[in-house]
Amino acid sequence: MLSFLTRSLVQRLFLLVIISVIAHSVVHLAPGEPSQVDPSNPRMKPEDIARIRAAFHLDAPLYLQYAYWLRDLFSGELKSFKDSQPVLPKIARRFLNSLPLFLCATLIVWSLSFPTGIHAALRRGSLYDRTTTFTAYTLISIPGFFLSYLAILWVVDTFNVPVIGMKTFGMENAQPAYRWMDRVWHLVVPSLMSAVGGIAILSRYVRS
Amino acid sequence: MLLKRLLIILPLLFITGLLQSFLWVPTYDKQATGNPERLRTYVEASIGDAKILNPILNADTASSGIVALVFDGLLDLDENLNLRGRLANDWQVAEEAYLLARPGMRLPNGSTANGEELIRQIRLALDSGNLPEIKKNLREMRVLPPATHTVKIALPEKSTGERPPKIREMEITIRRPERIAFSLREVDQDFFTRLKPVVGQGYFDNFPYEQYLVAPRVPQRLETLRSRLAQVLPVGEHNPVILFHLRPGVRFHDGHEFDAGDVKFTYDAVMNPKNLSPRTSDFEPIKEIQIVDRHTVRVIYKRLYSPAIYSWTIGILPQHLLNDQALQKEMEGRDLSAEARAVFGMRDSEFNRRPIGTGPFRFAEWQTDEFIHLTRNDAYWEGAPEYADYFFRIIPDLLTQEVEFRTGAIDFYGALPHQVTRYKKDEAYQSFSSLGFGYTYIGYNNRKPLFADPRVRRALGMAINVDEIIKYLLYGEGKQVTGPFPQNTEWYNPEVQPLPYDPEGARRMLEALGWKTNTEGWLEKDGKVFEFNLITNSGNPVRKNIMTIVQNAWKKIGIKCNTQYFEWAVFLKDFINTASFDATVLGWSMGIDPDIYQIFHSSQSGPQQLNFVGYNNPVADELILRIRKEYSRDRQRQLTHELHRVIADDQPYTFLFVGLSTRVLDKKIVIVERAPDGKERYVKIYPTKGGNITYYFNKWRKLEFTPDF
Repeated sequence: MLSFLTRSLVQRLFLLVIISVIAHSVVHLAPGEPSQVDPSNPRMKPEDIARIRAAFHLDAPLYLQYAYWLRDLFSGELKSFKDSQPVLPKIARRFLNSLPLFLCATLIVWSLSFPTGIHAALRRGSLYDRTTTFTAYTLISIPGFFLSYLAILWVVDTFNVPVIGMKTFGMENAQPAYRWMDRVWHLVVPSLMSAVGGIAILSRYVRS
Repeated sequence: MLLKRLLIILPLLFITGLLQSFLWVPTYDKQATGNPERLRTYVEASIGDAKILNPILNADTASSGIVALVFDGLLDLDENLNLRGRLANDWQVAEEAYLLARPGMRLPNGSTANGEELIRQIRLALDSGNLPEIKKNLREMRVLPPATHTVKIALPEKSTGERPPKIREMEITIRRPERIAFSLREVDQDFFTRLKPVVGQGYFDNFPYEQYLVAPRVPQRLETLRSRLAQVLPVGEHNPVILFHLRPGVRFHDGHEFDAGDVKFTYDAVMNPKNLSPRTSDFEPIKEIQIVDRHTVRVIYKRLYSPAIYSWTIGILPQHLLNDQALQKEMEGRDLSAEARAVFGMRDSEFNRRPIGTGPFRFAEWQTDEFIHLTRNDAYWEGAPEYADYFFRIIPDLLTQEVEFRTGAIDFYGALPHQVTRYKKDEAYQSFSSLGFGYTYIGYNNRKPLFADPRVRRALGMAINVDEIIKYLLYGEGKQVTGPFPQNTEWYNPEVQPLPYDPEGARRMLEALGWKTNTEGWLEKDGKVFEFNLITNSGNPVRKNIMTIVQNAWKKIGIKCNTQYFEWAVFLKDFINTASFDATVLGWSMGIDPDIYQIFHSSQSGPQQLNFVGYNNPVADELILRIRKEYSRDRQRQLTHELHRVIADDQPYTFLFVGLSTRVLDKKIVIVERAPDGKERYVKIYPTKGGNITYYFNKWRKLEFTPDF
C-alpha cells in the first residue's frame, strides 16, 4: 500500500513538472511578449521596455527563465503581472474556494452512484436499468460546461435566485444565518453539476 | 441493517441540507429577505472597469459615470437640456468689446480716428438715436492708453519642395495704439457691424500692423503675418465674460470648503500640458479666469464661442489635495524611482484611484476588475441621496449580466435590440427606450463629379427604404433622422420632412440629369456606368448590413455599387483622412451643443479633418459661424432650424437613423418624494427630454413591494 502511494505520488509529481514545462513553452510560443504590456501608451519609452525586460529576465535563455520561475514560485516571490500581488496566496485562495465544492461533489457522487448502480445491477435488463444506462451515457456525452450553462439559465429563469459566484453580491450586511445559507446555496448548483458526470460514470462501474 | 439504512439516509439528509438553502436565498421578488439594506443599495454592472477617476483626465464611459457621482460641475443640464446651476448658484453672460483706434485714418465726418474722437462720435450717434441696439446694450465705454503686447505666433516656414512646411514659433512685440473698451450687457456678435455707420465701412479692413511692430523690425512675409496678427489683435475684439456666483458652504468629502480657488485650479489643471488632459480643447477659448472674491469667479473668453459654457459641467477638483505642494508631499511619501519622481504629476497621484469631490456620493473602495463602491454623502448640499450605497460591478460578459439582473443581484440592465420586445412585455421589470445623441448616415464624397450634384445625392437617398432598415436591422429600435442635429435637442428641425422612399422617382430624377439605362440595365452617361464603391469599417455588423441593403436598393434603379469594409485604422488612414473614397457608411455621436463647425464647415474639409465628405455651401458656412457666435438660445434655435433645412436640401449625407437604447430596471425602484411633514410619496421613474432616466437618481430607492402606478 505504502509503495503504491509513493509510486503514484512520484508519478504525479513527475507529471506536474512535465505539465509546467509544456505550459511554460506554450506561453513563449504564443505571439506577443510581456514587455509589450501597453503598446498604445505613448509614455512607454524604449528604455522602459528595456527595464521591464531586464526585471523579468526576458533576455535570458528559455531554460534559465524556467529556472527563475521555479525559484520565484517556491520562494513566494512570483507575482502576478496584472496587479503585482504574490501568486502563492492567490492560488491558496482559489484552492480554498474549490475545496468545499470538491468535497460536496464527491459526497454526492459516492452517495448516489452506489444505490443507483446496485439497484440497476440487481434488476439487469429492466426498464429501470435501461433508463439509467441511457441517462448515464447521455450525461457522459454532453460536455459538462454546456450542461452547466443550461442548468444556470434554467434555475435563474424558473426560480429567479442568484447562482453565479461564491455568494450573492450585496449580502455582506445580511443576518449571519442568511449569509451562511446563501453560501451553501451557491455550492448546490455547481457541486450537483460537477457530480452529475461522476455519478454517471461511477454508477456504471458499480453496476458492472 | 442499521448501517445499510444509515448509508442511505445520511446522504439523503446531506443532499436535503444542501437543497434547503434554497429557501434562504434572496429571490428577485424578495431581495430584502434577511438583508434589509439591499433596499438602500443600488448595483449597476459594466463590461469594463473604470480607468482613472479624475474629471479632467478620464475619457472612458465607466470612469465618467463614477466621476459624475463623486464630483459636481459648476453647471449641468436640467430636464429640458437647459443649463442649471450646481456648484454655481447663478451666472451672467456679458461682453467686453475692444476697438482699436486708427490714428492714421479719418472718420466719415473727417476727424482723426483717435480714442477721444471715436468716443465723442459714438456718443453723438447714441444721443441722436442712430444706434438703438447699442444704446440698449451698452453699459459704459472708455479709452485705454496705448500698450505693448508680446504675442507668440506659429508661422509655417517657406515650403521647400514637396515636404510640408515646418511650423516655427515666432515672438512678436507690437505697440498697439489706444483702444476703446466697451462693456456690454449682452453678447452681440454684430456689435462692430452696428458701429460701421459711425467709424466708416472700411474701418475694420487692412489695419497697418507693420507700423506698430517693435520686433522683429523688418518682418518677412508680411501678408501671412498680417493675417495672423488680425486674429491675435483684431481691430474689433469680442471678449464674452461669464460671471459665476458660487454656492457658499459646499464642502468636499474631506470637509474642506469649496471656493473660487478650486474653480481656477481645475481650469489651470486642464490647461497644464503636463497633465495631458483630454479636455484641453474645451477650455482653450478661455483668455483668463479672475477670482473676484471667495464665491465669485469671472471667466473671460478670447472670442465669441457660445458652446464654451458647456465645458463648465466638468467636475471641480479640490485644490488643497492636488496643488503642487500636495503632489510634492505625496511624491515624497511614496517609494518611487528617480525617473518616476522627475515626471510625477497629477496623472500619477493616488487621488485618481480614491477621488474626493463635492458630489452626492463619496468614494469608498475600488477592487480592480471587481467593483467600485460609493457611499452616500450625508452632507450633500442638495440633500443626501436615498441610496446609502452604490456599487459599480465589473461583469465583462453580457449574458452573466443578464443572469445577475434577473435574480436581483444587479438593478439595471441595458437590453440588446433583439431583447427589447421581450423585456417590454415582461411585467416584472420597468423598461425605458430613449433616443441616443448619435446617428448613422451614408456620406458621399461631394468632391467627386459623380456626387457633386445635390439632385444625384437626393436620388440616391430616395432609393433607400430607411423604415425597412430600422425594422429589420434594429428590430424597430430606431427613428429616421433628416439632418445633422441630435433629434432630442431643440436644435433639430422637426418640420424638415424625410426623403420619400420612391425608387421610381429616383430613377426619373437621374434620367432627367442625362443618365440612360444601357443594355445591361445599368444607368449610363457619356459612356460611363453609374458605379462607385461604398465602404465602412469592419466590426460593426449594423453598418455592414446597411451596405448590403443599400447595394441592393441601388441595383434596383440601375446603380452599380461595390461594397468593402476595412479594419478601423486602415479605413481612417487610407480612405477617410485622405478623402479618397466614394461613399461611406458611418455614424456620429453628437454633443449637446449646436456647433457642427468641424463636421460641416467647408474650412474643415482638409486631410484628417472631420468634413471628409467635402461639404461646401457658403450659406451653410455662414450659418454655422453665426450659430457658434450666438449667445441667445432663441436666436440660436432659429439659426439651427434654418441650417438643418439647408443641409437637408443639399443631402451631403443620406441621413439614416438614430438608435433607441433600452434600459431595464427592477420594477421596485421608484422616485421617492418627501413631503415637508416627512411623509413619502412614490413616483414612477420617467425619462427627461434628453432620454436621461437617472436624472432623479438621488431620489431613487428600492421598495420591498412592487408599487402600482
